[in-house]
Amino acid sequence: MKKKKLGVILASVLAAGTLLSACSSKDSGTSEQSGKSGEAYEIKWYTIGTPQKDTEKVFTEVNKYTKEKINATVKMTQIDWGDWVQKSQVMINSGESFDIIFTNGTSYVQNAQKGAFMEIDDLLEKEGKELKEVINPDLLEGNKVDGKLYGIPANKEVVRQDVYTFNKRLVDKYKFDLTKVKTLQDLEPMLKTIKENESGVTPIATFKAPVRFDYVFNNEMPFAFPFEGETDKVINPFESDTAMEQFKTMHEYYKAGYLKEDAATSKDSWPMDVENWFVRMGGSQPYADLLWSRSAKYEVVSVPAEEPTIINDSVSGSIQAISATSKNPEKAMEFLALLNTDPYLRNLVDKGIEGTHYKKNDDGTIEDLPARIDGYNMPSYSLGNHFILDLYKEDPKDKWEKFQEFNASAVKAPSLGFKFNSDPVRSELASITNISKEFYPALATGSVDPEEYLPKFNKKLEEAGVDKVLKEIQKQFDEWKSSQK
Amino acid sequence: MPKLEQTQSSLAIPKSAEGIKGGEAHIPTKRYRDPQHLHPAANAIISVLLGILAFTCVFPFLYVIVISFTSEESIVRNGFELIPKEWSMDAYRYLWSMKEALLRSYGVTILITILGTIISVFMITFYAYAISRPQFKYRRFFTFLAFFTMLFSGGLVPTYIVVTQFLDLKNTIWALILPLAMNAFYIIIMRTFFLKSVSESILESARIDGASEWRIFFQIIFPLSLPGIATVALFSTLGYWNDWFAALLYIDDPNLVPLQALLMKIEANLEFMRQNMDVAIMQTSLFDTIPQESAKMAMVVIATLPIAVSYPFFQKYFISGLTIGGVKE
Repeated sequence: MKKKKLGVILASVLAAGTLLSACSSKDSGTSEQSGKSGEAYEIKWYTIGTPQKDTEKVFTEVNKYTKEKINATVKMTQIDWGDWVQKSQVMINSGESFDIIFTNGTSYVQNAQKGAFMEIDDLLEKEGKELKEVINPDLLEGNKVDGKLYGIPANKEVVRQDVYTFNKRLVDKYKFDLTKVKTLQDLEPMLKTIKENESGVTPIATFKAPVRFDYVFNNEMPFAFPFEGETDKVINPFESDTAMEQFKTMHEYYKAGYLKEDAATSKDSWPMDVENWFVRMGGSQPYADLLWSRSAKYEVVSVPAEEPTIINDSVSGSIQAISATSKNPEKAMEFLALLNTDPYLRNLVDKGIEGTHYKKNDDGTIEDLPARIDGYNMPSYSLGNHFILDLYKEDPKDKWEKFQEFNASAVKAPSLGFKFNSDPVRSELASITNISKEFYPALATGSVDPEEYLPKFNKKLEEAGVDKVLKEIQKQFDEWKSSQK
Repeated sequence: MPKLEQTQSSLAIPKSAEGIKGGEAHIPTKRYRDPQHLHPAANAIISVLLGILAFTCVFPFLYVIVISFTSEESIVRNGFELIPKEWSMDAYRYLWSMKEALLRSYGVTILITILGTIISVFMITFYAYAISRPQFKYRRFFTFLAFFTMLFSGGLVPTYIVVTQFLDLKNTIWALILPLAMNAFYIIIMRTFFLKSVSESILESARIDGASEWRIFFQIIFPLSLPGIATVALFSTLGYWNDWFAALLYIDDPNLVPLQALLMKIEANLEFMRQNMDVAIMQTSLFDTIPQESAKMAMVVIATLPIAVSYPFFQKYFISGLTIGGVKE
């Protein structure tokens, strides 16, 4: 008889479950249709980052404000960093209904081409007029896909500049003259000194030898436009002399033991707070050294490795797109416009509630309170306009001015705004990707001799149909170029 | 498995050795050999081989435990070591500091494991029992229906649409339970098990005695098929305990994230950092909160222990369930 009871319990549990889910379905159904008048529309917003404890608390404040301003409320859901790519793609593919979603880089372009995002040129003219005036025109221009805009880029640095970053303690100790550093080759004497005198330090925190081109996909893939000379002709950068030269230098460094032996395959992230490196390489922005020194808890100093450049990658780092499944794109646009132009709302979404998550000093600067790190630690870069964010106490006063200068100082890459549609050469690209994954890391970290392996790499690429892809890129590029005039 | 075989063979030796000593030891019966008896040399070799195999199974886990007690500084400088230069409890202190989230995830995992196992065992046995009985008219059709999903599945996006849009399970605990509750493979196993281990005549006599179908199922079928059911239960317990993908897809609410999904998230976030160094470097304050290698390993230890501890209790069913089909009849 006991068993029978179990069955009854089980059946009721199942029934309860069905009831529960039925209730929740009603909840999500209510807030869908409502226009300018009447009930406030609930904007569903998905963005990247670890979900925070105090999101609900902050968004109660946000909703009070947006209800008054644009008669809408916002339901923001964060999807964790590592889950983002897969989860957002499944959501988009399933045609789920939501309004705003964070996107970037190639996934932005692909989803825009697929029709998952809404064209927003018209909306930007009407609902987002103020917004259009604020955002850097390079950002808007650079993010057009087939001549149309599909998302609002976060207004911040539009420039990409790689720098060599040095451990300042060691630079001072051996009195290195960093002003002389311009190229990878210039590092040699310093690396030698470090290798000989500092036993616990790896001279190079693994980076890939820079080969400066305007890449169509990324540094690994053999398609790029040169910055100088014939800038509107796409080539295979790995056939250039620059590539050979850089890889050779790197190979010498590798042989001399300046890099870790497993550099090509290691997934080591070289955390800054462990002081076991001398030089590293990475993208920069104004006052980056300050930021890095603060998080490393010792000083670092950087030297530019290239001119600041606006490339496709640097303009599409953070975009909020309106979904094609949105029930009320006008409201979504109104919200994005408000978020990017209204300092109160922007700071509220980014930093939390004043007095709870941060405090404001008399001079207008702010300081984080413990509750922010604990309960509302948001990624600024993904959320929107940087230039209306309050500055921290320890930030330089002219931080945003420096950003604007930095943006203005940049050269534009030849292919800025060109979005390649890879459908016609999909199978070639798949095999080329595999070949690149095999050769590039080994070559770029100097683990193998480029005299031997670079020609091998290029031969394999040729067999995989690199020329066909180059031709297709050139064709689309020429079409795009002529439509620009 | 290797551990088991080892114990069986070591158990078998003394028995057979005794048998030989006590028996006709002085009569040289070369032809006769006890099938249980192993030559001492063969025995030694097999024991060593199985010992090595068992060790290779256990070793990675021991390594993980050692790493979880290594200081982070030591990992970054020297890599993983069997005997680290610096021991540290930092990883566990870190886990203690996030005990709220951890305990909640533990609770979610335990809840979905228990509830899920119960639901899935009943759903699977009900289905399997029905299609195992010849009186059921449409059993071929329903067998095929289950079997078909083993060959072709709907794929990720349709599954997602069904769960989120038709069933509306997103962000509920049921999204973690129901999608895993039915499993065609276990249904086929159970069906075969019912066919083999429960003879029709027993059921007939029960029916003659006036037992209802429910009573037959719970009082006759269930006890008779306990080894098979326990096997399926164990499999689905493991399935629920280790599942993270359902949570990845269907759960946004941090309060409903199971333990393994939490682990996967941390791993995936580290991977994200590696691939997007630029973002990571600019947003240092964010990523400082992501635990490092040793904490990751400590989480693995914590997530694995309950299963490792409860496994011995399941083991006997597990083995008899796996072997019974081959031995009988």
